[in-house]
Amino acid sequence: MLGFKRGGHDRAEFEALIAPWLDGLYASALRLTRNERNAEDLVQDTVMRAWRFFDRFERGTNFRAWLFKILTNTFINSYRRTSREKSLQDESERQSVEAQFFSPDTTDQATNPEEYLLERVLREDVLKAIDGLPIDFRMVVILADLQEFSYKEIAEVLDIPVGTVMSRLFRGRRALQKALLSAEQASPAAEPIDLNAFRERKKLG
Amino acid sequence: MNCRELQTALTPYLDGELIAEARLDVEAHLAACAACAKRVEVERHNLSLVRALWQGGSPRAPQALRSRVFDAVRADDARRRRQRWVKVSAAAAGLTLVVAVGNHQYRAFQRRLFEQDAALRHARQFPLEIRDPKTTDLEQWFGGKLDHPVTVPRFPNATAAGARLLQVRDKPAAYIRFDAPRPMGLFVYGDDHEVDVGTEPAVSNSNGYNVVSWRNGDLVYQLVTDLDEQDIRELLPPSHPVAHPADQGTPTLDVRPASLQR
Repeated sequence: MLGFKRGGHDRAEFEALIAPWLDGLYASALRLTRNERNAEDLVQDTVMRAWRFFDRFERGTNFRAWLFKILTNTFINSYRRTSREKSLQDESERQSVEAQFFSPDTTDQATNPEEYLLERVLREDVLKAIDGLPIDFRMVVILADLQEFSYKEIAEVLDIPVGTVMSRLFRGRRALQKALLSAEQASPAAEPIDLNAFRERKKLG
Repeated sequence: MNCRELQTALTPYLDGELIAEARLDVEAHLAACAACAKRVEVERHNLSLVRALWQGGSPRAPQALRSRVFDAVRADDARRRRQRWVKVSAAAAGLTLVVAVGNHQYRAFQRRLFEQDAALRHARQFPLEIRDPKTTDLEQWFGGKLDHPVTVPRFPNATAAGARLLQVRDKPAAYIRFDAPRPMGLFVYGDDHEVDVGTEPAVSNSNGYNVVSWRNGDLVYQLVTDLDEQDIRELLPPSHPVAHPADQGTPTLDVRPASLQR
């Protein structure tokens, strides 16, 4: 009626779009902030920013990616500054990411021969290992392995090249497995989990 | 593809991010290399396990958080609407003011045009159609010649020299000329409040004349004279001061029909 071409500020439309993603935002915020209270604040800030900028969201494009871009930016801008997060950007990405990724000196692999994770690993162990990842790796791992975004989407969300996504994911997962393997060795007895049941659920879903 | 190349392709391969051609390359290598096949299997297993543990039992956003978030959006939406409304009302108020000022200016401009026209026509000294009439005769003489009845105010110290029909701009008017004590012309015309003249006589200057204008219902009176304001005051009874346009004064001129005056 008023000739909005691109956006608009329709609250009902916004609420309908965002409602399905609140759980995902919260679960991701928990791993970003590692603290329930901050996670709730982060989600609320994210939703308010998304609402304020809703007229800039181009209808028909990837709303979930747009939302997670706001989530990660909000986190980087406000939470990371206050929490003592250390960025990898300075240390390991000073040189080209590609150069590292394809480096012949692949110390990670050399010193960590692949090993099966035992199926009795606990969820708490996984979360603890994720929380121990440096933030740049953690963000990529959250987006890829919790939210199951594609590389292209992650590149868009974090505003980094796809090659960087791949490299961080590779290194992040490696560090994660390393942490889990050493946790396994430290506490040998735990409840087994039924991986096959999960796979069946995934297939059905 | 060799084992080292496979290593770099492993992550995108497991994530299904390789294009078909690259994927086939990987699979060809895996079919031929047991070590890499084993490594892929381990990686796939570990990745599935981590994802399963992480995603399974992921906490949902607490209900309190949901309510808080939607309440905040609602409140912000309401605030935006109020602001928008305030903006619209402010714009409307501004527009109203512009229109009001514009209208006021326009009406003042129109009144000036009528004053000027009256002054110019009086200055032309058109021949009179009736001479030395009594005031009551005048009203009779104009009767039927115009769309409106003409009531002629009586000026105690002035006598009419004569009268005729004239116009003030597009309005047919009765014109009465007085010669004593000084030449003056009085225009009387019907006007449905198009000309911005109030019931209070008001003096303005036009083409070297003073023009005194007032209204009685749908009749507008314009007296054109070279008397100054002081003389006009003396001409009119002292109890009836002449107001400036902006002044709030008491009624000044007795504009009842002559037959009803004194």
